[in-house]
This record gives sequence, C-alpha cells and structure tokens, in this order.
Amino acid sequence: MQGDQPNTHVPTWLAWVLPLAVPIAAVLAGPWTATVAALAASAAAFSVVFALGRALERARDRAVSIQDQLIQSQKMASIGQLASGIAHEVNTPLMVIGQDVELLEMVLAAGNMPEKMHAEAESCLEGIRRQVDRCGEITHKLLGFARKSDTVAQRIDANALVEDMVMLVEREAKRQGIVMQREYGQVPEVDTDPPLLRQIILNLLNNAAQAVGRDGVVRVSTRNASGRLEIAVQDTGPGIEPEVMDRLFDPFFTTKPPGQGTGLGLSTSLYIANRLGGTITAANAPNGGALFTVRLPLDAAAPAAAKAA
Amino acid sequence: METTRVLIVDDEKDFLDLFMKRMVRRNLDVHAVTSGPEALEYLAANEVDVVVLDVKMPGMDGIETLREIKKRHPHLEVIMLTGHGSVDSGLKGMSLGAYDYVMKPFTIDDLLERIQKARERVDINRGKAR
Repeated sequence: MQGDQPNTHVPTWLAWVLPLAVPIAAVLAGPWTATVAALAASAAAFSVVFALGRALERARDRAVSIQDQLIQSQKMASIGQLASGIAHEVNTPLMVIGQDVELLEMVLAAGNMPEKMHAEAESCLEGIRRQVDRCGEITHKLLGFARKSDTVAQRIDANALVEDMVMLVEREAKRQGIVMQREYGQVPEVDTDPPLLRQIILNLLNNAAQAVGRDGVVRVSTRNASGRLEIAVQDTGPGIEPEVMDRLFDPFFTTKPPGQGTGLGLSTSLYIANRLGGTITAANAPNGGALFTVRLPLDAAAPAAAKAA
Repeated sequence: METTRVLIVDDEKDFLDLFMKRMVRRNLDVHAVTSGPEALEYLAANEVDVVVLDVKMPGMDGIETLREIKKRHPHLEVIMLTGHGSVDSGLKGMSLGAYDYVMKPFTIDDLLERIQKARERVDINRGKAR
C-alpha cells in the first residue's frame, strides 16, 4: 500500500517558470522565427506540465482515498471483533430466556389459572418471546458482520446478478410508485463471491427505495471503470446530510425511525465489500439524492488477499 | 461431473410434481418434501448438495428452515424461491447465508443454471475442506 503513495511535493512554481522561461530565453537569443518556435514550444511545455500536475493531483486524491479506505477497513475489522464478542456473550442469556419462556408456556398450559389472568400471562410471554427474537436478530447480524468465513470466488455475470436484486426490490417498490431505472454497461464476467455481492446490492437498493418514498426514482448502473467493476445506486431522496456523511458506515448508526433499521446494513455491506477486495463510497448526487458506489476488482486475486487481512 | 443431489421444499404439491418431472431428466437426483421439518429430517439422513426452498410455507417458514439448515449443514447451499418478492425476507435470507433468490415464475433452465452454480460452490468448499 505504501508503494502507492505518490510524491506530492513537486514544486508548483515549476509549472509557471518553465513555460515562461523558454520564450524569454528565445527572445533574448535572436530572430523572431526562433521566437515563434519558442512560443510553440512553450505552449507545448505548458500543456505537458499541466497534464503532469493534473495526474499528480489525481494520484494524490487516490492516495488519500486509499488511506481513508485502509483506515476504514481497519476500523471495521476491530469493530467486527468487538461485535462478535458481544454477540456471543449476549446469545447465551438470550437462549436461557427463550427456553424459560417455553417452560413457562408449558406450565401455563398445564395449570388452571383463571381465564383472564391466563390470557394476560400468555400475552406477556408472547411479548418476551418477540423481544428475545428481536435481540437474537441483532446478535445474528453482529455475528454476520464479524463472520470470518472465507469468500468463495465464482465467475458471474454481474449485470444479471444486479438485475435479480433490482427485480426483487421492484415488485415491492412498484406498489409505492417507485421507478427502478437501469443503466447496465458493458462489464466483463467477474470472479467474486455471488451471495455476498447480492447482499450488498440488495441492501443498497432497499435503502434507496426507503429513502425515495412514494413516486421516487432509483437508478442502478454498472460499468467497467478502468479495471474495476463499478455498481452505482442513485436515488431521488433527500440525500445525505453533511454532518451524517462521516458516520454513515458506522455500525448502529441509522437515520431511520426507531425499530425500522438496526444501523447494521451499510456497515455490514462495507465490511463485505472490503472482504471482496472492494470498497463502497457515499456521496450526494448532482440531483441532491444519495449516490452509493460499489467498486470491486474484476478478478479473484483481490478477494483472496482481502481474506488474509 | 457427478450427479447433483437436490432437495426441493415447497408446500405446493402441484409445483413439486411439475418440478420433479422436469428435473429428473437432467442429471439431477431430486427429492421433494412439503415442509421445513420434513426437509430437516431428510437432510439428517441423506447427502444433499443443493436445497431449493420456498420462502412462504405454513408452520415453519422458509427463513426459519434456512436458519436451521445452515446451522446443521453449513456447507450445503440453499436457493430460496419467492412468490411475491419480499425484500425483507430477501435481506434476512441473504444474511442467513442463502446462496440465491429466485422469483416465481421462473423458467426451469434458469433455475437449473442457478442450481449448477450453487453446486459449483459446494464443490469448491468441499475441495478446501479436504
């Protein structure tokens, strides 16, 4: 990773001095034909230096984003460990509570409690069971988040995989007048873990559909972006508040109303993307909606490397 | 390639009959059951590569069955069938380790392709275990 760090300290004064110095030197040196030639040379020098500058800028941006992503993925890994620790600890008491509820239900069925009290006790037990299930769901998600199982790379048609998930969401979204737009580009077959990628895509699509609400539009696009598979999900919802942007991928962070989201969807998706050797980035689209972009390597080598991390 | 052993779990008898008729001809060793508990019982006694599991079943539903199958037979791949595209069950199923989601109606060829992909994954995992 360190090798990717470009030298960003190329003096910018060079960009100005070099093209100016050439014609000045030429004028001082002699005839105007030489000056014209020198001017042309200086124009060429200008464009070369500026192209160089732009390339450097791009490289610097990329280095910064690689570093951000590295920090993000390390953060994810440590949160993953913590999460699985908590989940394991909480699971045992949950199981005990669940079994006690079952036992109590049996006792209740066998006993002869007055009918009204019986009904009340039953509904209490039902309430406990529901909450235990809910906790179980959260610990399950936490464990899923921290799951260290190997990724299995298989060759797949990414557009078909994305389309499957779009169709799954579309059936429900249609009822709310939400339109799913597709812009599938020419992408080669990809070596990646299909069920894990499905999980990411479904998650992003579901978030987008929830964000746009009635009569919104969710646009899904794929393309081959210089050797990486890029899948973008853009919506016409309210977009991402700037103060929320930094915490978006944090576990348990949610902007959804209580009970509607555990705040583990995006963090899990990012964690999975990292395991697949890829990334997810969030931004606000020019139309004001949210734009999530998944970038994955086109070959299996990267997932294997990510697995070892 | 060896025959792929498939267990299909769906409470709709008509669908199972149709499925069996179409599948047996294609180098698939297919067995059908009509409920989650039956599926678990069958899996406890028989070797299977891929399970095709309906999401919506009375009693123990597909998600619950999936959870149990993955707990007991983690290396077995499960393809979920869904009639009305529930995103919620999709999210749950995926996080529980379902291999694929197929919406009804589907073509047999399409499902067959997905079963083969799931089988491929089973083989890769078995190869690693050895």
